[in-house]
Amino acid sequence: MSNVKQVRLIGFGGQGVVLAGTILAHSAIKDGRWVAGSSAYGAQARGGTARYDVIVAEDPIKFPHMISTDILIAFSQKAYEESLGQLSKEKALVIYDDLLVKPGTLPGVIQTGVPATDRAIKDLNNKQAANMVMLAAAAVLTGLTSQASLVRALEENSAPRFLEINRKALALGQDIGLNLKKI
Amino acid sequence: MNDTMEVQSALAPGSYFFTGNEAAAEGAIAAGCRYYAGYPITPSSEIMERMAQRLKEVDGVFMQMEDEIASICSVVGASWSGSKAMTATSGPGFSLMQEALGYGVFTETPLVLVDIQRAGPCTGQATKVGSGDLMQAKWGSHGDYQIIALSPWSVQEMYDQTIEAFNLSEQYRVPVFVMADEAVGHLRERMDISPLVQTRNRYKKSGAAPFGTEENDGVPPMPSFGEGESITVTGSTHNEFGVRKTDDPAVHERLVGRINNKILNHRENIIQSEAYSLDDAEVIVVAYGFTARSAFFAVDQLRKSGKKVGLLRLKTIWPFADGLINRIGKLGKKLFVPEMNSGQVYGEIRKYAGCEVIPYHQTNGRIIHPKDIIAHIERII
Amino acid sequence: MARDLDAYLRQEVKSTPFCPGCGHGILMNIILRAIADMELDMKNILFVSGIGCAAWIPSPHFNGDTLHTLHGRAIAFATGAKMANPKLKVIVISGDGDLTSIGGNHLIHAARRNTNLTVICANNMIYGMTGGQVASTSPLGTITATTGEGNPYRPFDLCRLVLGAGAEYAARFSVTQPLVLMAAIKKALGMEDFTFIEALSPCPTQFGRRNKADSSVQMLKALMQDCITREQAKGMDKDLLKTKIITGEFHHE
Repeated sequence: MSNVKQVRLIGFGGQGVVLAGTILAHSAIKDGRWVAGSSAYGAQARGGTARYDVIVAEDPIKFPHMISTDILIAFSQKAYEESLGQLSKEKALVIYDDLLVKPGTLPGVIQTGVPATDRAIKDLNNKQAANMVMLAAAAVLTGLTSQASLVRALEENSAPRFLEINRKALALGQDIGLNLKKI
Repeated sequence: MNDTMEVQSALAPGSYFFTGNEAAAEGAIAAGCRYYAGYPITPSSEIMERMAQRLKEVDGVFMQMEDEIASICSVVGASWSGSKAMTATSGPGFSLMQEALGYGVFTETPLVLVDIQRAGPCTGQATKVGSGDLMQAKWGSHGDYQIIALSPWSVQEMYDQTIEAFNLSEQYRVPVFVMADEAVGHLRERMDISPLVQTRNRYKKSGAAPFGTEENDGVPPMPSFGEGESITVTGSTHNEFGVRKTDDPAVHERLVGRINNKILNHRENIIQSEAYSLDDAEVIVVAYGFTARSAFFAVDQLRKSGKKVGLLRLKTIWPFADGLINRIGKLGKKLFVPEMNSGQVYGEIRKYAGCEVIPYHQTNGRIIHPKDIIAHIERII
Repeated sequence: MARDLDAYLRQEVKSTPFCPGCGHGILMNIILRAIADMELDMKNILFVSGIGCAAWIPSPHFNGDTLHTLHGRAIAFATGAKMANPKLKVIVISGDGDLTSIGGNHLIHAARRNTNLTVICANNMIYGMTGGQVASTSPLGTITATTGEGNPYRPFDLCRLVLGAGAEYAARFSVTQPLVLMAAIKKALGMEDFTFIEALSPCPTQFGRRNKADSSVQMLKALMQDCITREQAKGMDKDLLKTKIITGEFHHE
């Protein structure tokens, strides 16, 4: 992993984007990295696009907000389209939910579809767990954080009643990620 | 003299992912704060929410008061009852608290106030960032007085400076303000907690005058209510035993002089700053708070492209770093001062720098982006 | 003040600052006598006051801890001091303008929380220290420095106000009724609740001279005539009742 990675997780409200970002951040800290995170903060607290930016770095972070997106993790078509303008000029990576996003052509950008929602429904019978499937797959594809740290971060941040399903979702996501990486 | 001591950290040592607001609450608990009173206000409310929970865990007292005036007044009362006490607020609440802050200064009451500055004036943009309360922090209450105001630039520093604020307030018997901004208050970052925390105890000396001292530092010992000392505390001019003296010019002059000088005479010990790449710099950015993060990044980028730029970061706003700015000004460089207000600190820098000082003001409720700092410096270098 | 109360007074403070005929000196005596009767330890009592003539009753005269605060804010300061050290007996003594006008919000909220404080409001129905302006407690028609043609507004009924806000106990007596007033203060101090004493105290300097009671004697006499018990009020002619002050104890219902 290069020194600083700017990651944007984005979707619509209710998809668990903020939780996924929070767990990513906690997980990277457990790996010993430096992390900054920020979400939109405004008078209207509900509805619309949900976004969480995480910066992961090997050293203390100078500027803690996103300058440009090195890794975009998109959970919806609208979120995907809205975010393309902020992609870094070099080596940007896009990871999207392949059931919810139809990607366009982006020269010089590696785009990878992850069947997060699809497999969360088929394998886990739980659409809500797609965020954790996506997170674990993205972690494998990007090297942002380790699976072991993700599981520990989940245990500290998940509501107890969702812990079991989310654990399964992380395992499923890791499998999906490893398979995609082989291709 | 009151001594520092090392205590076990309230949280287990390790790395955490906190907001600045949460970090301020943790810093308070670590420093020994056992009384908090506040009133809900955006964007500082998370501090009181966390204090409500944490104070319960450490046998402290949390009060949600009827308004900000009651909050700060009860904090003064709690401090005189022997507690380390704190409140947090934002612009409109800070305005309401000014009279009682003057009371805190005049009665030499240790207390900490965290101001999560938002875009003012007035209600302004309650959820948006600004740093327009700095002059109010210094001059908001009537009369001549000194306070100490710190400016954190990270979540880690919200924790560290809140602890420092408690220590300074005990050392100098003065209200200390952590003048954070919304961007730092709501920033989430890794924050490291070490096993031990340096704290400072209140200096007590039975029978000694609580409002006068012959000692060099000018800070008298402070008894607490209920210790049998028959303390008399008043916001009127008072002699060294606290007895009202409302028409004696000598008593007034001596008291006002001492409460100012006990801070001003120690400003070299109080003021903290950090310098980056100053040695050969042609332009020195002077910044504080979240804006210093933008400046830090900008200076780094400019250095990478061969520009001779440095950063001086003010960690203490009041007392003002006049000596430091004077020394920096003598280097004969240009100073560039980006601020999320109309030049509140720029004016102070211009007073003492004696060199060209270029202000950059932004009052639109947004942070100053590094690219704007880079663009402006490229124009002046 | 009587010699037997010397121990309750700060020795370096020689005289009280009150005008001739002011009721606050009597109230001062009554409060200390109540404390002496109850054998409360002054070392354990904190007296908190605001700004105004009545705020000088405890500060700096009383030989316990005294906290002379800002105008209107005594109860807020007292709340912090009490919550941080619950072992303290905290007594707030201040005037009507201070406690019920500028400080009205703190008064009702302390009553609502049932914070363990005894608030003694020295009610002279006027702003005395600032020169006799109309107060939230001035009766309808009172001539003051700011109501030359008579106060057009009704006064607060302070006891009903704090009971409505949740106070457990409130009592209203005049300094011309020293024994019942002292009994009420003792009762309040014996409770672990928010308790409120409205002590009517004449101000001949600012109130009396504008309202046909120039001398202290006239003012004291008027107060004695105006103060009636709740029993006496029963069945009294409505117009006559309007000119009277109903004194007594009021409990939370």
